[in-house]
Amino acid sequence: MNYLGLVSVVSEETPARLRLWSFAVIVTAVALLAATSVMMARVQEQVRVIGSEAAPQAATTADLYFALSDMDAQVARMVLAGDAAELSGSQIDALGTYRERSRQVDAGLQRSLTTATGAAERAAVLELLHQLAVYRQRVWQTLTAQSQAPPQPPGRLPPAALGYYTQATNVLHLDLLPAAERLRDAGEDRLDRAYAEKRTTELLGLALTAVLGAGLVALLLILQVWLARRFRRVFNPALMGATVLALVLTAAAGVVIVSQGRLLGAARDESLRPYLALSRARALSYDAAADTSRYLVSANLAYYREDFTRKSQWLVEGGGLAAAAGGPDVSPERSGQVVERWLAYRRGHDRIVTLAGSGRTAAAIDALTGIRRGDAAFDFSYFDAAVDEIAIARRREFDVAVRDSGRLLAGWTVIPVLLAGLVVLLVPLGVRKRLAEYR
Amino acid sequence: MKLRLALALTLGLAAGCDAVAGTGDRAVTGDRAVTGDRAVTGDGAVRCAAGSIRARGSSAQANAVNAWIKDYQINCSGATVEYDSSGSGAGVRAFIAGTADFAGTDSPLSAADQAAADDRCGTGPAVHLPAVVGPIALAYNVVGVGGLRLAPATVAKVFAGAVTTWDDPAIAADNPGAVLPSTAIRTVHRGDGSGTTANFTAFLAATAGGDWTYGADGAWPAPGGAAQRGSNGVATAVARTDGAIGYVEASYARFHSLSTALVGNGAGEFVAPADDAAARTVAGAEVLGRGRDLRLAVDHGTAAAGAYPIVQVTYEVVCEAGAKELARSFLGYAVSPAGQARAARAGYTPLPEELRRKVSAAVSSLR
Repeated sequence: MNYLGLVSVVSEETPARLRLWSFAVIVTAVALLAATSVMMARVQEQVRVIGSEAAPQAATTADLYFALSDMDAQVARMVLAGDAAELSGSQIDALGTYRERSRQVDAGLQRSLTTATGAAERAAVLELLHQLAVYRQRVWQTLTAQSQAPPQPPGRLPPAALGYYTQATNVLHLDLLPAAERLRDAGEDRLDRAYAEKRTTELLGLALTAVLGAGLVALLLILQVWLARRFRRVFNPALMGATVLALVLTAAAGVVIVSQGRLLGAARDESLRPYLALSRARALSYDAAADTSRYLVSANLAYYREDFTRKSQWLVEGGGLAAAAGGPDVSPERSGQVVERWLAYRRGHDRIVTLAGSGRTAAAIDALTGIRRGDAAFDFSYFDAAVDEIAIARRREFDVAVRDSGRLLAGWTVIPVLLAGLVVLLVPLGVRKRLAEYR
Repeated sequence: MKLRLALALTLGLAAGCDAVAGTGDRAVTGDRAVTGDRAVTGDGAVRCAAGSIRARGSSAQANAVNAWIKDYQINCSGATVEYDSSGSGAGVRAFIAGTADFAGTDSPLSAADQAAADDRCGTGPAVHLPAVVGPIALAYNVVGVGGLRLAPATVAKVFAGAVTTWDDPAIAADNPGAVLPSTAIRTVHRGDGSGTTANFTAFLAATAGGDWTYGADGAWPAPGGAAQRGSNGVATAVARTDGAIGYVEASYARFHSLSTALVGNGAGEFVAPADDAAARTVAGAEVLGRGRDLRLAVDHGTAAAGAYPIVQVTYEVVCEAGAKELARSFLGYAVSPAGQARAARAGYTPLPEELRRKVSAAVSSLR
């Protein structure tokens, strides 16, 4: 091949190579566009699932356990009041709260049924519904037996009513609450799975974006270096612009994915999990407080006194309450206040047990239902208000994080199209004049 | 917070874009019922006062007052409020005797009681402050009958014993097209003296004309029927008696899941005992008191559209001058939007907003 022939071949090779480079850059840009768009759409959907399905479901099932515990606490109050006129206010208040909790339970189960992800979860909900029907039947048998028997002093149940009540509270503790616990665990598992799936998408998406983004930038740089050497034109504004856009797209997609991942992860660890843990402790506190009523209703059955002690020990001596109500989001004063208020309730409980033990049942009931400071009903409300304040703050924090994650991802179905589209347009623009030299 | 800041900067890239569809629309526990006894100061409704006060009075308002006390004490750690629900009469007597800082009553003070209460207050009169409204429902238990409609005259005939079966022509006339059973009517009334009975009989006396000749009284004045102690007793008796009808505060009927009758008003409409319907009747009530005294004359024959005519207004009676700061602060919370919302959760009807503002202003200007 002579010199002229070589020049001719090189001349023919140059536009072909230019077209090939351009094609490779465009294909890589389109691949980057596809990767970021798919990743963002998938992460958006997974954030939606977490924010609108998995997290509410986990909270619903945790609250379901709590609502069931409180339902039974209200039944104990109703039974305790009996037909005593002086306690009719307490009874109607308990009935109203029972209905409210009952609706909450129904709504929670309905939601669980519609969002259940597998046959086992659906079966667990249906079993809960069945047990709930049995529980309600026993409750109303208790109240009917109580109302049909000759009037009893407050705190004393006719034998038939006590029998039905024992069955009701057994159904709650032996069937309903364990089933609710399984559902609660399933809800938390589902939440974990949703987070894990999102994490996998993020890692895969990030790796793909990094590889394609780096490849695109490298191709653009090589193209520019080659053009500079071959055509002796150092600056190619269009290709430089495309390079900057490719860098921006790759870096921004990475930052957004990492940021929302950290945001939502922190929200789960610092808000949602502590909220769920607090809900568990709260449910136990309601159940323990109901033991005070059950102790009186059962004519001072030691079982309920010991059950209270066991639950209270878990809450206080076991550190359950301090752990659930504490954390970086709660000041030591506020979490300490929760424990102190529970201890105040426990002192009230001890006083009630002492009064009942010495045969002063009426005084014990007065101390239980009274709302003076130092009375059990007020002290428990005081404790619960402190718990509720922390629970509301945590719930709000998580909701805000989900909303922020949504905002962070907003528009990311359009942004890759816009930026990668510009890259695709700028490449032909950048090589157009060079190609024209060979026409 | 640092992460938030970083996010805010990153967000700039996507500024102006819509949020992800569906995300954040539903709070984690958005449908969760209110669980705690909070929200006193959420809207800045009350400024806490310290000390201790005692009040006595109506059991009909006891649940609302107890809910207020719990909320107030939770939020105001230096305050102790006690309410003894021993009945309106006992409450007024305790107030006159100076052993109660305020009294809860289901009906305005009599002239004699007002004079005695004014004497007790010394430097100013005792004033009535409406606290909550309670629709009185006619709860019934009759086979196959839903949405029962009863004109005032028919209600009077039923409770006077002039109508004895559910298929009586008087009832049929109020319920055209309804298939009524021949079940015997079993009326249930309060066996104990009560504001509920006083307000129910006041309604009958005002609207039923010659069909009700027993006047208005806190003690059930007519013969026949079954007497039950307390609203709970009436509700329970209705629930277990086929063919029964009784009058109870609407919250009791609601909590016991009892059917309630639509009652005819002055406009000829049949209206259910809903909160807004009761509030319309109270909103049209004439204020009889002067200045801060907001004693109301409820028009049981109200022709206001959609108004439910059988209502009772419960009052707190307090000295216009010289009431303790804690009493003023507590009552201020009770009639605040937060306090009224709390009472609504306890089954009561909140005061109509215009009246609530008047009461709130009156409480604020107590000295």
